[in-house]
Amino acid sequence: MVTTTDSAGREIIAQAVSVTRKYPGVTALDSVDFEIHAGEVRALLGQNGAGKSTLIRLLSGVDVPSSGTIRIGGRDLGTEGVRGATERGVATCYQELSLVAELTVAENFFLGRWPKGRFGIDSSAMINKARQTLARLGSDIDPTVEAGNLTLAQQQIVEIARALQDEPKLLILDEPTSALAHAEVALVLETVRRVAATGVAVIYVSHRMDEIRQIAESATIMRNGRVIDTVKVGESDTAAIIRLMLGTDPNAQKVVNPTREFGDVMLEVKNLTVLPKVTDVSFAARAGEIVGIAGLLGSGRSELLRAIAGFDRLDSGTVLVAGIAQSHPTAKLMRKAGIGLTPEDRKREGVLLNLGIDENIVMSDFAAVSRGGILSSSRIRKSAQDLAKRFQIKAHDLSEPIETLSGGNQQKAVIARWIHAGARVLLLDEPTRGVDVEAKGQIYAIMRAVADQGKTVVFVSSEVEELPLACDRVLVLRDGAIQQEFTAPDINLSELLEASMASHV
Amino acid sequence: MTEIATTDQRPSAARRAMTRLSSNTTLVNVVGLLGAIILLYVYLSSSATGFLNLSNQLGLLRQAALVGVAATGMTLVIIAGEIDVSVGPAVALSSVIVAESVHNWGLPTIVAIIVTIIFAVTWGAVAGALRARFRVPSFIATLGLWSILRGIGQFWTNAIPVPLPDSDPIMNVLAGSIFGVPTPAWGMIIIFLVIAFVARRTSYGRSVFAIGGNAAAARLAGINVARVRIILFATMGLLAAISGIFLAARLGSGNAGAADGLEFDVIAAVVIGGTAMSGGRGSLIGTFLGVIFITLIGNGLVLLGVNSFLQNVIRGAIIVAAVLLNVTLSRRRSSQSED
Repeated sequence: MVTTTDSAGREIIAQAVSVTRKYPGVTALDSVDFEIHAGEVRALLGQNGAGKSTLIRLLSGVDVPSSGTIRIGGRDLGTEGVRGATERGVATCYQELSLVAELTVAENFFLGRWPKGRFGIDSSAMINKARQTLARLGSDIDPTVEAGNLTLAQQQIVEIARALQDEPKLLILDEPTSALAHAEVALVLETVRRVAATGVAVIYVSHRMDEIRQIAESATIMRNGRVIDTVKVGESDTAAIIRLMLGTDPNAQKVVNPTREFGDVMLEVKNLTVLPKVTDVSFAARAGEIVGIAGLLGSGRSELLRAIAGFDRLDSGTVLVAGIAQSHPTAKLMRKAGIGLTPEDRKREGVLLNLGIDENIVMSDFAAVSRGGILSSSRIRKSAQDLAKRFQIKAHDLSEPIETLSGGNQQKAVIARWIHAGARVLLLDEPTRGVDVEAKGQIYAIMRAVADQGKTVVFVSSEVEELPLACDRVLVLRDGAIQQEFTAPDINLSELLEASMASHV
Repeated sequence: MTEIATTDQRPSAARRAMTRLSSNTTLVNVVGLLGAIILLYVYLSSSATGFLNLSNQLGLLRQAALVGVAATGMTLVIIAGEIDVSVGPAVALSSVIVAESVHNWGLPTIVAIIVTIIFAVTWGAVAGALRARFRVPSFIATLGLWSILRGIGQFWTNAIPVPLPDSDPIMNVLAGSIFGVPTPAWGMIIIFLVIAFVARRTSYGRSVFAIGGNAAAARLAGINVARVRIILFATMGLLAAISGIFLAARLGSGNAGAADGLEFDVIAAVVIGGTAMSGGRGSLIGTFLGVIFITLIGNGLVLLGVNSFLQNVIRGAIIVAAVLLNVTLSRRRSSQSED
């Protein structure tokens, strides 16, 4: 095998040489050069759509480049795919956990290739080997426990350890801490540190600057499918890194939102706690106001909205709607009080794909479209048509299944559903996710129109750039609490991003 | 830095033991069932005349074997997240095939047995392939099989029993006893031991658990999911053939109408034994106790002279209550991991 080394004499484990990956209509990667050495922990940073996942997919053999070469262990990977990459020592842990909850940790370690002994599976060998690998990572997780009984952080460690038993040369971790509460993160970071100490190269995708500062020596920053720069983490301040991620001078694209007059406080949250993600959140939102919530994946955004809407039990705290306290909110109570939530996962939790657009809109309040307790098709048509017109839902026939609509139009229908129900407070969890640019603009316009009618809108987004465009005020959620607040017209993009990525420089 | 690891993972040895004990649903189930069986014995021996008679006890074992043989395979099927509702007609048709082979085709008994097994394994594998390769839900595939097998048997025999020769030595052994214990009961015990070993200690068995727990993860780990599913249903065919042969030996004939509603008892025994209908979780020892439990209830209701229509009502209620308990227990266990 050809051993490639860099100028400092360290072996190059994996390399991308002027790699381009085009998908129909999009260039996901644009002549990217990237290399990583043995024993190095490299952070991969960039906004959504910057090309991080595509680069990972190419390095792990899931996808092949349109042009350029991927070299693993000094040799061209070609079209050898996942198997070829695995044989050369690439192991990838994706965001979703892939353990079987009902099997023991040891059995998960050897999933599908259990060691054979004289009498069937050799459990003691299996348990010993698993224990050894875990011990190498300084973990004393009991290999005989069922995986489902472990905490999320422990499961993440088991995944990492499982990837390590084949003695990989390159370990790719895609946001391994995004599902974890703050206290559990230290456990995973310590594990990564130990892995790197054994000479394994680690690519670590994360948005959390404080984590990156703790474990990575260098960070590669990507933007619009290109590698912008690779910097030493210790020598760069967070503001500089964020400038690289955003590209343009963030202050140049400042949006002037006129200062508005708002009505009474419509939604107030006092010391809300939903363990383990949300520890202490207080804020108030007025009628006519659009309040944005910025925060990374896993910062507790969705948990906060779900709790306000009564879907999760509060550990403590109070929610007030129009001044009336709800200390034990249930979904039914909160709906009655006028709260509507559009969930993050539109396909699975938002729309009912097989039902008509009209039914998807009126389902939040069937009584309003009934006569004498029986659904009236003329009323359904009228209500749905009114809302579809107001919300610019593009459809030939509202009785068609909603799956025939584009993502943006589906989202508009889900928002319309809560206007139909007469909601006074709209909680929108990532309404613009997976939606094209035009529909995004329309969704902002809908939010504004709804707010101008005296309703309150709470808008969660992981695309920080859109918060200043749409919001009157932005709250930054981090580690389960509101850390900072920005009010229009002084919503500064880079400060916003810096606050949510939390660097303790 | 190891301090972090140790403090976070070890609440205290005692607490860990406690959570482990209460979270072990298999153990809870086994202890609960044992208790229920003992109570049934105490109650029936005092109030049902003839319950403790040797002949009744041996009859109990015979009845348990009919349910138990199929219940072993059904346990694996349900652990894998599947279901097989075709057991009753499969057993009945197997008894017909073995009897027809001897009576009409003049095959030697041992060959007739092999022929029966080949037929049953084939239709099981077909059901498995429908599920694995063509994604027909196993409930539908085996529901169709249920009707087809019953229909074939009745059409073939005009629903008239097909007699077996009186003096067949092999059939006499299968219908008789070995060391005083009915042969089918020996069969059941051996099959239970074999399947329990397969479930716990072979790659195939662990694959069944992995597929029922998280089929996507199993596939990613390189487990041949389709193959496992086909083998599962082929095994059900094999076990139905064994039950059918025992049944034919006992009745002295192959009977297309036999084993009516057997699938009900088999599935009930597995679920009472603590196997989760959602897959991934279950045990053969639980199923064994479930078989004993359900057989005792059936026998007890007869001996107590309960109206036979009412018996169905009581059995149904008991089964739903047992499943309710099972679901409640497993939900409490997994509540921490649910969102």
